[in-house]
Amino acid sequence: MIYRAILFSALLLFLAAERNPAQGGTQKPVLVQAVVCEDVRDGSCRNQGAVFSVTVGGVACYTAFDPVPGRTVIYHNWYRKDELNAKIRLVLQPPRWATFSSIQLREIDKGPWRIEITDQEDRALRTLRFSITD
Amino acid sequence: MEKLILFFSSIRWQDLLDITLNGYILFRLYVLSRGTNAFRILMGIALLWFLQRLSASLGLVVTSWFAQGIIALAALIIIVVFRNEIRTVLQGRNLRSILWGFPRTGTRTPVEVLVDSVFELARRRIGALIVLSGKDDLSEVAHSGIPWQGLASKEMIMSIFWPDNPVHDGAIVIKGDTVKEVGVILPLSHRQDLPSSYGTRHRAAAGLAERTDALALAVSEERGSVSVAKGEKIRVVEGKEELAWVLQQHLGTSVAPKKRTLKEKVELSVAAAVSFLFIAGVWLSFTHGQDTLMTLDIPVEFTRRDQALELIGTSANAVRLELSGSLTLLRSIRPEQVKVQVDLGRGEPGTNPFLITSREVSLPPGISLKSVNPPVLEVTLDAVIRKELPVQVDWTGKIRRDLILAQVKVSPEKIQVTGPKGVLENITTLYTEKISVDTLERSGTVTAQVLLNHASLRPAAGARDRVTVEFVVEERAP
Repeated sequence: MIYRAILFSALLLFLAAERNPAQGGTQKPVLVQAVVCEDVRDGSCRNQGAVFSVTVGGVACYTAFDPVPGRTVIYHNWYRKDELNAKIRLVLQPPRWATFSSIQLREIDKGPWRIEITDQEDRALRTLRFSITD
Repeated sequence: MEKLILFFSSIRWQDLLDITLNGYILFRLYVLSRGTNAFRILMGIALLWFLQRLSASLGLVVTSWFAQGIIALAALIIIVVFRNEIRTVLQGRNLRSILWGFPRTGTRTPVEVLVDSVFELARRRIGALIVLSGKDDLSEVAHSGIPWQGLASKEMIMSIFWPDNPVHDGAIVIKGDTVKEVGVILPLSHRQDLPSSYGTRHRAAAGLAERTDALALAVSEERGSVSVAKGEKIRVVEGKEELAWVLQQHLGTSVAPKKRTLKEKVELSVAAAVSFLFIAGVWLSFTHGQDTLMTLDIPVEFTRRDQALELIGTSANAVRLELSGSLTLLRSIRPEQVKVQVDLGRGEPGTNPFLITSREVSLPPGISLKSVNPPVLEVTLDAVIRKELPVQVDWTGKIRRDLILAQVKVSPEKIQVTGPKGVLENITTLYTEKISVDTLERSGTVTAQVLLNHASLRPAAGARDRVTVEFVVEERAP
């Protein structure tokens, strides 16, 4: 009898999982915020901007997703001019998630930059553009 | 014999035309300038050139240098000294006479001078007797003449017959354009049928005409009339035109031109032959003398490119041509006379090998192509595509420490460009020219040029290459 109850419960869970694919990972996380700032403190971005002096030492890319249907992975691809400088893998956790990546700045990093935020299938979610100056 | 056949087979129709044309020009120069001072000076300069070449070959340094100096100034000398002659040839004659006519160098009687002089004498009622000699020798029938040898002019004829002049009673004898004798006594005619009004002057005119082939003009001082005696006839002429016609008939200058003399024919034939031989010699020395090799680096021109294809690159931008020909011709080559043109009409996307042959190389006449290095050019072509690319501002400089450039908006955000597929595939962003943040203090707008860094890229039809940049400046958080 107890085995029948366990089997029935397992069947219900399987059917529930089949009916709600979001729980199974086929739904995509929705990007609700993407900004570039000087740094992230206490979960918030400080001094968002489009131009940063190399003297600030670093730049961060902050992204927030809501909802996040399932555990998934996104990438922050940092390009200087058209050359890929860093590809940072970030994990999103349901039900919503905010995450960021950052780079340290050097003199040779001056110039136009862009960050392409992509999902695990390499689909572009958004592109952020900024410049590093003196 | 084989060499001779090879030589004649190498002559092109252009060479024959070249020699004929220039030979004829030289011959015409001779014809137009013969008998003038210009011709003599030209001959002198030609002789000087020959002397210079001879002295150079013999190693006579000073003589060669001296002759060369004069020859260098020859063109200037000819133009300055003979400007009047050149003007006479070019303005005084029609095109036909310059290209074809043969001006006579023989006897020329100034008909107009005579006509004017005679009718002026008649108007002034000054008696005169003028003899225009023919082929007959007048010395047997005309006596006591005083040699004159003066160029006939109206003023001189008037002064000879002026009543106070000691020789005014006699006749003057004109041969060609020269007054040969004055004060000549002529035999009188004994004819009975002459009008009684004719005095001694008219009888003298008739007397000479009867005995020789000369023409005599008598001006009556009583009636102011002009009479012409020729052969058995003597008659009064009414006007200048009639007298001019009579004189021309006698001299055969326009109505029935004299036939060219054998001597003149021989002279012209020799001149023509020498002209053509001289030009043929010059051509021979230019084209076949001292065969020499020369190398030239010539940039390659690409033609007839399909508009749907873009030239991406070539294995070489210039080729080295090894040319052969006479030293004179090779020395005179200017780089712009030599062209290497590759027809890209049959090119396809990708790398295309093009063989450089004599078809692709254009050379001045008389120069031949020995070799080309590299013989094959690899030309890379690519399809032209259109792509929309986002534009990003390229900021530079140092913004004030208490400010931050918070937002930037570019309009239009994207620009359509055309260019080679291979190039555009690797470009994801277009950047503006550098915009300085040094002086930014508040939000604003600027316009900036979009840079198309690759030479083969250009904005698509209708697309702009400038964007408007709106920016927001905020206080920086501490």
